[in-house]
Amino acid sequence: MAQTVNVIEIENVVKRYESGQGVVEALKGVDFHARHGEMVTIIGPSGSGKSTLLNMIGLLDTPTEGTVHLDGTDVTDFTEDELTEERRSKLGFVFQAFHLLPMLTAVENVELPSRWDTSVDRRDRAVDLLERVGLGDRTTHTPEELSGGQRQRVAIARALINEPDVVLADEPTGNLDQDTSDTVLTELTRLKDDEGVAIVAVTHDEQLLEYTDRVVELIDGRIQS
Amino acid sequence: MTRLGLLRRFPSVEIAWQNLGRNRARTGLATLGVIIGVVAIVSLGMAGAAIQQQANTNLGSLTNEVSVSSGADSDEDGVTDGQVDDIRSVVVDADVVPQKSNATTLSTRSGERTRVTVSGVTRADVLYETSAGVAPERLRSGALLSADTAAELGLELGDPVEYDGTLYRLRGFIESDEGFGPGGDELVLPLSALSEQEHYDTVTVVAEDGNAATDIADTLEAEFNDEDEEILSVTSFAGTQEDINSFLGTLNLALLGIGLISLVVASVAILNIMLMSTIERRGEIGVLRAVGIRRGEVLRMILAEAAFLGIIGGLVGSVLSLGAGLVLFDVLTGDPMLVFGWESVRYLFYGFGFAVFASVVSGLYPAWKAANDPPVEALRG
Repeated sequence: MAQTVNVIEIENVVKRYESGQGVVEALKGVDFHARHGEMVTIIGPSGSGKSTLLNMIGLLDTPTEGTVHLDGTDVTDFTEDELTEERRSKLGFVFQAFHLLPMLTAVENVELPSRWDTSVDRRDRAVDLLERVGLGDRTTHTPEELSGGQRQRVAIARALINEPDVVLADEPTGNLDQDTSDTVLTELTRLKDDEGVAIVAVTHDEQLLEYTDRVVELIDGRIQS
Repeated sequence: MTRLGLLRRFPSVEIAWQNLGRNRARTGLATLGVIIGVVAIVSLGMAGAAIQQQANTNLGSLTNEVSVSSGADSDEDGVTDGQVDDIRSVVVDADVVPQKSNATTLSTRSGERTRVTVSGVTRADVLYETSAGVAPERLRSGALLSADTAAELGLELGDPVEYDGTLYRLRGFIESDEGFGPGGDELVLPLSALSEQEHYDTVTVVAEDGNAATDIADTLEAEFNDEDEEILSVTSFAGTQEDINSFLGTLNLALLGIGLISLVVASVAILNIMLMSTIERRGEIGVLRAVGIRRGEVLRMILAEAAFLGIIGGLVGSVLSLGAGLVLFDVLTGDPMLVFGWESVRYLFYGFGFAVFASVVSGLYPAWKAANDPPVEALRG
C-alpha cells in the first residue's frame, strides 16, 4: 500500500526558541519522513519536541536549520503566504480540541478550508466525506448538537476536503473515551487507505499505536532509534 | 442556515455575517453605539438646517432693502429732497421710497386707544403687502393700517381714522409679518399728512435681491460719506443676513462636532468589541490560518464584521434620525416635509457614511492583528 516516495521529508532540522531562560533548543537535528498511505505516530514525553516537530511537518513553523521537503518541493524558505498555499492544497489538520466553528453546520465546517476558493464547489465532496465517516444524517447539525466523537469525525472530514497528501493529527483521541477513539481511529485509517494520504500523528495514547504503521520516539529533541 | 447565492461568492462576508450572529448581545450593543452616534450627527445637523431655513424665511422680506437716514454729520435733521434726488440718480433698477415718520394715538368711539407709528409715504405698494384692501402705487388720500391694530380697534375698510385733525378713510390692512421687518402697529398715510415735517426720516431703497442691496448700500456710502464724515446713514440688512448665516454655519459645525464625538465614542466601542472578539476567537482564527485560509481573507472577514456593524447601525440610525428630523422640522418650521430638502436630508448620507467609515477604521487594527497572528501561537493560546 505504502509508496516508496516520501511525501514529507525533513532533514537535520534544528529549532531554537528565544525564551525567558535564554535560548531553548526544541529540536536538535531531526530527520523524519512519511510516505503516501502510511501512518506514522510520534511519541515522547512532554517537552520532547513532538509538537514542535508536528508544526514543522505542518508548515506552521519554520526550522532554524535544516530543510523541509513537501511532495518533492523544498519549502524551507517559503514565505508565510506560500506556506499558507501549501497548507491549503496539500495538508489537512485534526486537532485534539476539534476546533470546529460553532456557528457553522457540520457540512459547512467540512468545506471551510475550500470556502475561499470560489472556483470550485466542494459541497458534494463535503457531504460525501461526512457520509463516509458515518455522519450522513448529521450534515446540518451544528457542533454543539454533536458528540465528541462525531465532532472529531467532522474534523477528519474537514482535513480531507482538499484532497491533501498529508494529514496531521495532534492528539486526535485526546478528548475521547476508548470506544469513541476506536471508531475515530478506524475511520481515520480507512480514509488513509482510500485516499492514499500519509498520516502523521502525535499522541500519548497507547491505543493509537495499534493502528499505526510506524512509531517514531522523540526524546529531548532527538529521534531515538 | 439559508444560503444566499450572492453571499456564497464572498465567503469572508458570509462567514462574517454568521460570526455576528454568535454573540447577539455584543453585536446589539456595538450596533446601538453606532445608532446613537448616527442619530446624534444627523439630528443635530438637521436641527441646524431647520434653524437656518427658518431664519432665512424670517429675514427674507428684509434682505433686499437698504434703509437710508440722516447721518451724524449732516446739517439737516432728515434726508432732504435734494438728497433723495441724488439717491435716485445713483441707484438704478431699484425703487426709492422716501418716508416721513411720526407717532400718534388712535382712539375709537367706544374708547379703545392704541399707540401707532405713523408713516408718510407715497409708494405704499413697494413697502407694504395688504391682507385686505389695496396698497396703492401712489397714496394720495386714505390710509393703511396694520391688520392686527385694526382688529384690536374694531375698524373695517372704509372706516375713518383721524390724524392731526384730518380724517382718512381706511383703504387697506397691512399684513402682519412674522419676521423682524417693520411691523407692529403702523398707520400709513399720504406724505401730505406729515407736511409740517420738512425732511424725510428714512429713504428705503428696495432692490432686486440681497446682493443688489449690498451693492447699492456700498454705492451710497461712497457717494455721500467719507471716512470722517457721515452725511447719510446707510443700513443694509443683507449684511445682517450674511452675519446671521455665518453664525448659523458656525453653530451647525459645533452641533455636528458634538454629534461626531458620539460617533468617535461608538467607534472606540467597536474597536474594543472587535478586539475582544478576535482575542476570544484567537484559536479559531489560528485553525483557519492552519487549514490554509490566507491572511488577507482573515483580514477581510473581520473588516466585514466591523462594516456590518456600521451598516446596520447606520441604517437603523438613519431611519430613527429621519423620524427625529420630521419632529424637529415640525416644531422649528411648522412643515415636517421640509426635512426632505437636500439641506437636511444630506445629513442622513453623512451620518450613514461616517458610521460605515468609522466602523471599518475601528476594525482595521483588530483585523490586522488577527490576520498576522502566527498560527502556531494562535493555536497554542
